[in-house]
Amino acid sequence: MDLFANLATGFGAAVTPVNLGFCLFGCLIGTLIGVLPGIGPIATIAMLLPVTFGLSPLGALIMLAGIYYGAQYGGSTTAILVNLPGESSSVVTCIDGYQMAQKGRAGAALAIAAVGSFIAGCVGTVLIAAFAPVLAAFAVKFRSPEYFALMLFGLIAAVILAHGSVIKAVGMVILGLLVGLVGTESQSATARFTFGVPELYDGVDFVPLAMGLFGLAEILSNLDRSRDRRPAATMISTLWPSREEIRRAAPAVARGTMIGALLGILPGGGAVLASFAAYTLEKKTSRYAAEFGKGAVEGVAAPEAANNAGAQTSFIPLLTLGIPSNPVMALMMGAMLIQGIAPGTAIISERPELFWGMVASMWVGNLMLIVINLPLIGIWVRLLRVPYRMLFPCIVVLCCVGAYSVNSSTFLILMMAGFALLGYVFGKLGCEGAPFLLGFVLGPLMEENFRRSMVLSFGDPTIFLRRPISLCILLAALALIALIVVPQFRTRRDEAFQE
Amino acid sequence: MVRVRSPQDFWAGILFIVFGGAALWISRGYAFGSLTKMGPGYLPTALSWALVAVGGVLMLRALAIDGPAIERSLVAPQLFILAAIVVFALAIERLGLALAVVLVAVTSSLASRDMRWGETLALAVGIAALCVLLFVHLLGQPFTVWAF
Repeated sequence: MDLFANLATGFGAAVTPVNLGFCLFGCLIGTLIGVLPGIGPIATIAMLLPVTFGLSPLGALIMLAGIYYGAQYGGSTTAILVNLPGESSSVVTCIDGYQMAQKGRAGAALAIAAVGSFIAGCVGTVLIAAFAPVLAAFAVKFRSPEYFALMLFGLIAAVILAHGSVIKAVGMVILGLLVGLVGTESQSATARFTFGVPELYDGVDFVPLAMGLFGLAEILSNLDRSRDRRPAATMISTLWPSREEIRRAAPAVARGTMIGALLGILPGGGAVLASFAAYTLEKKTSRYAAEFGKGAVEGVAAPEAANNAGAQTSFIPLLTLGIPSNPVMALMMGAMLIQGIAPGTAIISERPELFWGMVASMWVGNLMLIVINLPLIGIWVRLLRVPYRMLFPCIVVLCCVGAYSVNSSTFLILMMAGFALLGYVFGKLGCEGAPFLLGFVLGPLMEENFRRSMVLSFGDPTIFLRRPISLCILLAALALIALIVVPQFRTRRDEAFQE
Repeated sequence: MVRVRSPQDFWAGILFIVFGGAALWISRGYAFGSLTKMGPGYLPTALSWALVAVGGVLMLRALAIDGPAIERSLVAPQLFILAAIVVFALAIERLGLALAVVLVAVTSSLASRDMRWGETLALAVGIAALCVLLFVHLLGQPFTVWAF
């Protein structure tokens, strides 16, 4: 069968000493930043982008992917042991995970979270291997109207599924689209919004923007809260869950994996949304509903499985359509472009070793992570004692050196400071950086595809409605908008984010 | 007298209007074109108007619907971090990587209220050594380690 031949290619490419090293390094960094509150995968991947300049494309992607799903493992450790989310995708794990720890079941909760993540990760990898080629083959028929419709759908979904106010997310997307237009316009070579700065002629550079908006802005807002006094971590006695706990966790892991995998593929989805949705579903449908919030095993198993499944499957839209579904994928897309790889339908057919190598590395990485997380848990717990006042100067240094290493320009360093301030101010006003980043990445692509569609149809905007696939995508987008207008869904959405 | 009931939304709206208005002002010089032959000014103008509209709605709505207050900013720590970045931009070409990193680490550490000099200096020297090792020796980036 084709799949096995392909997987053999993938393992051949991924299981070389160098690539295994990158995979291990990515997983270790991912676990580290997952455990440490105050720094997440977006900021970390942005900071490590300059480091990947000199690596092989496959090595770079394997490492960056490892950071994202590694963070899903590490986040649960902090959530369970200190009642702080190490990662935004493990916010819900705090609720029941910490309660389990209070009852002396910390080890069991950690084991269930790790094993649940591992199972979900394996399923997610299989889903990518099975569906991505099919989707890519289907998407070969796509022309610019379909791509434009798809990107529009992605942006709308990102807005609706984002936390907080929908209208503010719309504003951030538009602002991101505008910033994405900075630079020399392709048709007429007009320099737009460049203020005569040569560094802006090729557009706003992705690396300083992402580091400023996520890495540094996060530090600026953290410094307003004095959070250096961290509560002591709970002690762990045994890592073995009881038979009763396993019996209850197993189906929750299965449900969490399903929800996570599904929401991961959706544009705007990913690990965070997946964990929230899985927790809400468990709480609504469980026979043990009364136990939720008091240490229910399902409340740890389902969201932890979901966030890892979601982290894996969110690679599908990027690898098949070239459309990033969340900010982390936008960064992965940036990493691919830096390596000279155009994300899109052609990746699987033209660079099979790259695609299958990544898929294989994800499975290997999940295997590494379960070892990194369970037997070595003591090391990570000790790391929690590193105070924030020693952590954030390191991040500032890495961002500065990284921004300068893009092309040895001090302008980019100052621009990064500007985006840090922008991200901080907008954060204070309850506006998220994620929709901004997606708008920024998709802006130039959307303009190009819209322009081509208009040339194709001689300026008739109904072309989007006359092509069946693009019509379907637009109808789906409309359905999403309708959902948000329906008051019932709206309250449920608010409820889900409040948990 | 109109009262702002949702300060976060109100100021977010103002910012959107300011950014949209500025973008509109700058893009007035770009050729607009038509749907068939979109000029370089087509999308910037359309998006700027959309941003101003979103900002307007947000601002007006903030007068009618209650919302959370804006969380207070301490200002000083944020200024230290931003200053550290500017210091790096000034120092990297004049002093070289090693000293620039030390300066950034020390300046940004000042942002924390429980900063300790001994610890900070040790940390700064440690990160500087790591940066030189990682970026110059392992990744081969063309940095000047010492500029003098």
